[in-house]
Amino acid sequence: MTTRIKKHFDIILNHMERSPAFYTWVSILVVVIGLALYAILMSLIYSLEVFEFSIHVIWVTMVSNYVFLVVSSTGLCIVTSLGHVFGMQRYELIGRRGVFLAFITIIFGMISIGAHLGHPERAMIFNLLTPNFYSAMWWMGTLYTFYIVFIAIEYWLLARPELIERSDQAQGPLEIIYSHMAFRQLDHSRLGAVLKNHKLLQFVSAAALIAGLSAHNTLGALFGHVEARPLWHGSYYPVYFLLSASFCGYSWLLAVSIATYKIKKENIPEDYQSLIFEMAQVLALLLSIGLLFTAYKMGFGLFTPEKVKPIMLFLKGPFSQAFWLFEIAIGTVLPIPILMWAAKQKNIMGVLIASVMVLVGVYVMRYDFVVAAQVYPVIKNSLPSYLPTFMEVLFIGGVLGALFLTYVLGEKFLPLKEERHH
Amino acid sequence: MNKAAKKIGRRHFLKLLAGAYAYATLGSPGLAGAQTTRYGKLADTTRCIGCKRCMSACKRWNKLEVERNELVSDRETDLSAQNWVVVNLRADAKNLTQRIYEHWACQHCIQPACAGVCPVKAITKLPMGNVVINEKKCIGCRYCYQACPYKVPRFDFEKRVTRKCHLCYDRIPLLNYMKPACVEACPVEALSFGYKHEMILEAKKRVYKTKNARYILGLKEAGGTDMLTILPTKPEDLGLIVASQKVVNHNIDKLRVTGAGFMGASALAGFMYTYATLTRGKEKKNRDNSD
Repeated sequence: MTTRIKKHFDIILNHMERSPAFYTWVSILVVVIGLALYAILMSLIYSLEVFEFSIHVIWVTMVSNYVFLVVSSTGLCIVTSLGHVFGMQRYELIGRRGVFLAFITIIFGMISIGAHLGHPERAMIFNLLTPNFYSAMWWMGTLYTFYIVFIAIEYWLLARPELIERSDQAQGPLEIIYSHMAFRQLDHSRLGAVLKNHKLLQFVSAAALIAGLSAHNTLGALFGHVEARPLWHGSYYPVYFLLSASFCGYSWLLAVSIATYKIKKENIPEDYQSLIFEMAQVLALLLSIGLLFTAYKMGFGLFTPEKVKPIMLFLKGPFSQAFWLFEIAIGTVLPIPILMWAAKQKNIMGVLIASVMVLVGVYVMRYDFVVAAQVYPVIKNSLPSYLPTFMEVLFIGGVLGALFLTYVLGEKFLPLKEERHH
Repeated sequence: MNKAAKKIGRRHFLKLLAGAYAYATLGSPGLAGAQTTRYGKLADTTRCIGCKRCMSACKRWNKLEVERNELVSDRETDLSAQNWVVVNLRADAKNLTQRIYEHWACQHCIQPACAGVCPVKAITKLPMGNVVINEKKCIGCRYCYQACPYKVPRFDFEKRVTRKCHLCYDRIPLLNYMKPACVEACPVEALSFGYKHEMILEAKKRVYKTKNARYILGLKEAGGTDMLTILPTKPEDLGLIVASQKVVNHNIDKLRVTGAGFMGASALAGFMYTYATLTRGKEKKNRDNSD
């Protein structure tokens, strides 16, 4: 019995790469996740105060992390649907990786908001039992549930042909796992034939895109509805969120796919390279439009009496460093020429650096957007400030670590490589 | 019994009819937004002496924790999950000698923004006027705090729910129409409780008669609230949050914002389609090359 189990494990271990760098990377991520679990345990044992402790600034890192991940997920869905819904075959190269990333980002986003909620278990029950159709938060929760289901089915449909291939080639437990994942018992049924139809994939992708865009719109509306917070209120954010989702999706795909090829020391196929440079150009265009949107927000805000104070927090106040340095310089202005230059010179590293810069800028932008709006209005004379607790930092690190670990394991065991039409 | 006393004459009946008609037409504009079945609380800052007995009574009735030195007079206190009513000393920014004790709690809006945004309908506006959070249903998302124009609902980190004043909904109907704990405890009648229309009339009367009382907070703020506060000056001069003079988070406004987002989403889908159509030629060329 023990020898049989050992044999099975050996097969799985043989499948894994045995490079020290890989193991170091995975162990670091595991330690980071362990620390996050410790933080969650502390919040359960003591009180939720170990996380976002302020009673004035009550939506902080967890919410901004959630917004960042969820916006990224919608963005990834938007970019991949160019291939699966709008029929641009070259975008199908990034299909599997994009959809897998969209799935894991939304899952870890949900984990992030789950830790923020006082009673996440009640949210699931009462969302069904007593829905409030006037609340954007209800719509967001419901639509994202649909989105998760559709995006999971989309990835499964995309991965199924290769899962079948892998189950044919693999032996022992891996064969069983892959064939179960591919639902091979459907192979000769009528449903199995339907699953191979490209139209089904297109339909599911379209459903995921519609659910994703609607959910994303309600996320923007969640903030836009709050009339008592002048910075959030209005129809600007629902629209801007869609734009920022698009450039987030492009940045994620560029950064992750280039980094994967570089770390694995593999050559990027030529058609993939040309797609990367095209995407870099589109990203530069989207960033320029984003810059116009930001200019509009700031300019318009200065002429709206109730928005002047929160806007000035960005332009001159405590958030100015984050705004000018991260949001404007690192997140938008600098990446545009780098991307244009890299696309012209066919420089892959340039694209990688610029897309990572955009992601860093967007992350800081989300934090500022969530926190700064809560400064006004408050009843106290002094402005409330907020500095994340150590436990919060551990938790956020753990969520991002778990996201990367899932991607690394997905890259190892699941089909994430480009699709090719034979 | 005397039959004549019970009989209403034709003239008397007409007089009553005319009186009722006049009351209905002339009396109603002054009582806008006040239904005779709804209750209201009136806080008169010109009478308050800052003894904080209301705070202590509230804590006793609702079994809330008391922090050290919290109930000492003149000590600045903030609303929290354990502090549903606070009394703070406020000075008029335009006349620093003018100081009042401001009794502050949930304003019980007629159309509460918090109830409108709660995703699971944990917040309800009762027909009596109270805005009540169902703590067994609250998911602890704190969206109500963000939506509230006065930032009243506060998060309880221990219980993981949002809590606030419920205008003693558990005292009014059950205990033989008892007044809320804070009102009952006030030694100088700075707090009053009764039917909303009566409270409005009382507040107007005091503003008319008293030299110091000049402003009634809650008549128009956030579309009208069931708690009224008599102030010696405008709320902004006292450093209070100024709510807009209309219903906050109106459903039509929500529809406008969401609609704009859907238009944006449609435009984005349009751009994606255009991008796909415009570059179709390039795709064909690539395919030909690869063949």
